[in-house]
Amino acid sequence: MQQFSRRDMLKLTGLAALAASNVGWLAKVRAQEGISQGDPSWHVLSRVTWGPMAADVERIQEMGVEAYIDWQLSPETIPDPLVDEWLSKFDYLAGSAREIYNRAYEDDYVYTIVPWQRIYRAAYSERQLFELMVEFWTDHFNVPAGDNMGEKIVDDREVIRRHALGNFRDLLFASAQSPAMLYYLNNAESVAEHPNENYAREVMELHTLGVNGGYTEQDVRAVARALTGWTVADTANGAGSFYFDGSVHDYDEKHVLGHVLPSGRGIEDGLQVLDILATHPSTARFIAQKLVRRFVSDQPPQELIESAAATFLGSAGDIRETMRHILTSPQFAASQGQKFRRPIDFMVAMLRALRPGLEFGARPYLVWSLEDLGQLPYNWHPPNGFPDAAGAWLNTNGLLNRWNLALGFPYASEGWWDDISLDLNAIVPPAANALQLVGNAASAILGTAERLSRDDIELLTAFVADDGNPTTPLSQEARIDKLPTLVGLLLASPQFQWH
Amino acid sequence: MMNLQTLKSRRELLRSFGHLGIVGVSSTLYPGWMPRLVFSPRYQNNAPGQRDVLVAIFQRGGMDGLNAVIPFGEGSLYYDRRPTIAIPEPDGSALAAIDLDGHFGLHPALRPLKDVWDAGSLGLIHGAGSPDPTRSHFDAMEYMERGTPGDRSTAAGWINRHLLSAAWQNDSPFRAVGIGAMVQGSLRGMAPALALQSIADFHLQGRDDQLEAVSRTIAGLYNITAPADLLSAQASEVFDTVNLLSQMSNLDYTPAYGAAYPESAFGIGLQQVAQLIKADVGLEVAAVDIGGWDTHESQGGAEGEFASLLSDLGQGLAAFYTDMQDYMSGVTVVTMSEFGRRVDENASAGTDHGHGNVMMVMGGGITSGMYGRWVGLGSDVLDDSALAVTTDYRDVLSEILIKRLGNSAIDQVFPGYSMNPLNIFQAR
Repeated sequence: MQQFSRRDMLKLTGLAALAASNVGWLAKVRAQEGISQGDPSWHVLSRVTWGPMAADVERIQEMGVEAYIDWQLSPETIPDPLVDEWLSKFDYLAGSAREIYNRAYEDDYVYTIVPWQRIYRAAYSERQLFELMVEFWTDHFNVPAGDNMGEKIVDDREVIRRHALGNFRDLLFASAQSPAMLYYLNNAESVAEHPNENYAREVMELHTLGVNGGYTEQDVRAVARALTGWTVADTANGAGSFYFDGSVHDYDEKHVLGHVLPSGRGIEDGLQVLDILATHPSTARFIAQKLVRRFVSDQPPQELIESAAATFLGSAGDIRETMRHILTSPQFAASQGQKFRRPIDFMVAMLRALRPGLEFGARPYLVWSLEDLGQLPYNWHPPNGFPDAAGAWLNTNGLLNRWNLALGFPYASEGWWDDISLDLNAIVPPAANALQLVGNAASAILGTAERLSRDDIELLTAFVADDGNPTTPLSQEARIDKLPTLVGLLLASPQFQWH
Repeated sequence: MMNLQTLKSRRELLRSFGHLGIVGVSSTLYPGWMPRLVFSPRYQNNAPGQRDVLVAIFQRGGMDGLNAVIPFGEGSLYYDRRPTIAIPEPDGSALAAIDLDGHFGLHPALRPLKDVWDAGSLGLIHGAGSPDPTRSHFDAMEYMERGTPGDRSTAAGWINRHLLSAAWQNDSPFRAVGIGAMVQGSLRGMAPALALQSIADFHLQGRDDQLEAVSRTIAGLYNITAPADLLSAQASEVFDTVNLLSQMSNLDYTPAYGAAYPESAFGIGLQQVAQLIKADVGLEVAAVDIGGWDTHESQGGAEGEFASLLSDLGQGLAAFYTDMQDYMSGVTVVTMSEFGRRVDENASAGTDHGHGNVMMVMGGGITSGMYGRWVGLGSDVLDDSALAVTTDYRDVLSEILIKRLGNSAIDQVFPGYSMNPLNIFQAR
């Protein structure tokens, strides 16, 4: 049976007042359970996680905002039982590219597991900020899985995840020697006689200096020559690893960004080039600008870019310190609701809000939904990574597909989707009437009903209440009938698209 | 080995055998309560005789124009520099170039376009491209699609500026359509443009008994009758679009005259453009992409990877031409790519980023022929080892705008550019 709390009574009182004065009730329904709209901890959670869950709200309120950020910046101290269990089922993902390919011949499921692991880890890892950094660097050092699927799995493990909150120089060196990158941007075939400039150009334009970072076409050519012979060895077991082939290296003198690379050197040429790039002030500014755009605003505040770049330079490329600077800055605090959720952000935020059980057979629905939304993980073909800013994602087709996913997914509670289990009653507490149900659902999905306008609440209660009266007692049958779509409407709402 | 294409078909299987019995699909789901959504005659202002529909095709990655329209007449200047990937001189065989004018020939994989050439509807502009020297894909694409090479400050795409500067108005959500999950850079800007993946799938899904209430609620949450921001404006576009598409009677589309589009994203995209043009829903410009042209390695010669790309391109264009025969006097198709590739093949039997390229134009208002100023492949005329750009790609586009699309505001579409007409097109 429904227990009426004092709060409920207040709401009902408020509704009576509505009938008389047409004001007041809204504030009451908005002020019910949930995290208040102005609470800075909600903003931090909505950017430092892939979407706040009830447990995150409890934790940040217990720890305090700063300690929470510190905790998330130290993923190595955070146990991650769900992900560990998940990974233990797919042990070959810890193997070499060759082992992964061998497995792929036996079992074509491996192809959906690559995007699936991205979704699963984002949604269920306790190391939420770490997973966001993995996403950031996956875009930054983009390698589509297409032809290099096995190598990309190794790259994700050995390059991106190993250094996501570590040192940028280490990350850059690891990426430059990653077979996935060497194959994708053709450095593996670059030889003195015919240097291939693909990687040489992108390592400056996209990975370090930025396109306005002060390099010339001559620099592109010189860097390509410096990196000749950086290739992939087919070792005895065929695993494939970085190898410097001195027989195809260009030993002549080179000039790169004002530095002279003396003649007669081998692998040292490339190592010096990467050092020059890793420590270049343009790199600090470019990385700072990209991080600020991702974590703060599509219009990154110049002041914050400069101070984050200074932190980056001053800490010799310490990503953790740079992130700490950004996340504790006043510009970050002032950027509430300014980032549009990219498709994968949207999907994962939905999964975190609903906390469904996902088994193996859940893959196709989620993976192909993301493809329809234009963001199939590891499937962006140009080297610049999926776009970050809202403008690239705000389009008619993407919005319709979002609505359809939002409206369809909650029907997992009715068994619509293979291998997805969902108990909506555990997410949205039962309610006595339409108004309460809307309030409960809004708290669960948006954090608080305060994010809904009065018109929004009227629309949603009208959807739930067949007679149009928000306070008519709601039968259990009617509640069960309306709840999945009500949740879907909140997931489809404009409020849920921003964070 | 499995690839994403096979996965795609698995998804289609999932859809067919999955939950379609539960997920309602209604062709009349647009709520009748919204008066602005009546199919309006103002959308149909693109009646033949007024202006062409433009189909702008972007070949992403930098097409190797020298192996698409082969300058076999250059002899050793071409053949010596491409020892493994050159296309043999025309000799009538299936793996040789197809002669056009004694100097240039089509790649054999473009054979379907020879019929279009013979019909007088194919123009080829060699040595075309952007005057900006960048060999970055992203810069080159952005410059080309924005229409202001070298200027990063331009926010909108050239097609979008064309729509804004045109003397006529057209409120159809299909005025500008980008085929794909996202709209192309050329279409971005203040004039609304629609990203469209699939005509048949473009509708709200959910429980049949709730569709009307769901539509009404979402429309209200996004305040679509008085959109206050970009997101609600997009929402409003979704509703208009769903409404119009639901009224297109020919969802099961059969191309005319036995035209067979390739079953590729490009082929399906072109077919949907044809469908929209025939449905007369107000389409003025469509952008279609075809990717994969960044052939740094193993690009092949008369056969192989590059040949497959060309085959998709050629079959798609030819199918569109056949299907659209009755409409072609009012359609112009133009292809472009961010840059061409170097003359020399590289050590990986591929080609690296170059500059000048070949553009194609197809339509009723064209006289077939080779256009532009061909300066050859002599090392003295090359631009950094690549074919030089001797025709600004905007020379082609501005002639289309003026003669076929009825917009002479070139200074607004391509600010800072002065025109050099090539006389490829007849004025309407």
